[in-house]
Amino acid sequence: MINICRNVPASLRLVRLFSRGVKCAALLSVTLNTAFAQDNTSQPDAILTEQDQMNQSSQSGQTNEPLTAQTDNNEASAMTTADWLVRLTNATRELNFQASFVQSRAGQETIPYLWRHAVMDGGRTMEQLNVQNGPGRELIRDGNVVSVFEPDVPPYSLRSEYINGPIPSELLYHPDTLKEGYEFVSVGRARVAGRPAQQIRIVSRDNSRFNYQLWLDEKTGMLLKLNMLDLQGVLLEQIQVTALNITEEPHEYFHRVNQASLPKPMAISAAKPREHNWEVTYLPTGMEEVRRDIRRLALTGQVVEYKMFSDGLVDVSVYVQPANDALGSDLVLRHDLNTFLTLTDGEAQVTVVGEIPPKTAQSIATSLTLTGSAN
Amino acid sequence: MTQQQEKLSAFMDGENEGNDIIDAIKQDEALQAKWQRYHVIRSAMRKEASVSPQMDITASVAKALEDEPTIMAPKKSRWSKIPVLGSVVPFARQSGQYAVAASVAAAFILGYQQFNQPVTPDEPFMTAPTVMPQGGLSPVSLQQTRTLPRNDMATMLEKKRKVNALIADHEQQVKLKQAEEQSEEAKRNSDPESSPQ
Repeated sequence: MINICRNVPASLRLVRLFSRGVKCAALLSVTLNTAFAQDNTSQPDAILTEQDQMNQSSQSGQTNEPLTAQTDNNEASAMTTADWLVRLTNATRELNFQASFVQSRAGQETIPYLWRHAVMDGGRTMEQLNVQNGPGRELIRDGNVVSVFEPDVPPYSLRSEYINGPIPSELLYHPDTLKEGYEFVSVGRARVAGRPAQQIRIVSRDNSRFNYQLWLDEKTGMLLKLNMLDLQGVLLEQIQVTALNITEEPHEYFHRVNQASLPKPMAISAAKPREHNWEVTYLPTGMEEVRRDIRRLALTGQVVEYKMFSDGLVDVSVYVQPANDALGSDLVLRHDLNTFLTLTDGEAQVTVVGEIPPKTAQSIATSLTLTGSAN
Repeated sequence: MTQQQEKLSAFMDGENEGNDIIDAIKQDEALQAKWQRYHVIRSAMRKEASVSPQMDITASVAKALEDEPTIMAPKKSRWSKIPVLGSVVPFARQSGQYAVAASVAAAFILGYQQFNQPVTPDEPFMTAPTVMPQGGLSPVSLQQTRTLPRNDMATMLEKKRKVNALIADHEQQVKLKQAEEQSEEAKRNSDPESSPQ
């Protein structure tokens, strides 16, 4: 080592030393993050056993014969994924529960949440979602009004049937609308948060979007765990329930909420759709346009033509700007879970942002075509 | 005697409930020796063999305890007899501890940065780095020998600003869309009689 380094300038030798240090650090980091590594390495085994279970369950589903000693397990495996999703919706709408869950993304801090739901006298439902770390963020839903309490922002209320938390609300309340874009596959039984659970895979039908794994409580149908995976099977985001408490009576917290102290709901009306002289001709299966608009960006004041597409689980934005105040070069990058892709053809710049694989973003961006009706 | 041996054997296996065997062992030295031998044999048979057959620990420990003088005052360190070293050594020891703690922290930070490298997707097209090169600003330039001209840096920052503007707008739109959708839905559900159906 010394012989090799003798003829090398001092700075480079420094680099060598430094890089060795980095290697050691990398090793350390590997040991520090064994939790992640173990999760990945243990997956193939888990999938194997899960597939076995799936075969068993599908067989029992086909024969459809009541076995001599019918247990809860057999009943559970005879249920279709659609039945399970109905149970999920019913559980989140009709039970009195208190759930603690954490949301974690690779390379980011874990965020703990407290989620409570109650059915009050007269059938009115109330819900609370609270971020447990830091200054906190609290959302309270009373009937169809959601009040938001955030640091640095005066409290406000919106009319809404459900709270928008880290768990996609379409999945909880309208899973049937996702059928067009995604396939729900029953995988088998598992144990999550100390409870027997039913595992379901959510796979996009044309393999153009990230996939999900969903674990539901066998007894109640409540969501226990939700993984978001990229197309290579790498974990992007995980929501894991750590404690679930289902009670007969609503939690006393809801009796303490003073309705009069909640802010009055403000109405947001959708902007009128504007005409664009371009269309996106490729969209992943199940995705459709939900907005179109011409506006200025808040940060730079640039004028953009804007369309938003959604399949219920993910939202994708498409921006078109004149090329003269654009980025000037093509670019793909990843921000959190969002893919950011921008292409320029010399006249216009097309940008696609959303929680989709870069390949899909490119397909959408390159499918843009001009339509005859220029405005 | 044979009855006592049987009892001893049973006691070792945890089958004997009574306390009389304990008293008997306490009284009888021959039984104590047997007790020890039995344990050695058992551990040898179980391939534990942590006790070597010749070594009677119980006796030596008891002897050592008897010989131990009672210490009334803490022993003075050899170092502290020398006036200067007496005060230096503890300090050196302390700083050593700090150094270990600091190096662990440094290693963790390095490791954390390593782990947090942006994930580059395996796609056929070029992927731009998320972190723009900071010409002229980095304290020690190991790989970049040339600092970027100022106007280049300005365009780079401008680019970053535009990217951020688009991402921020997307996130805002997603939030807004959810609020609007639900607002509409809640309105429809709350006053169904006013809707045309």
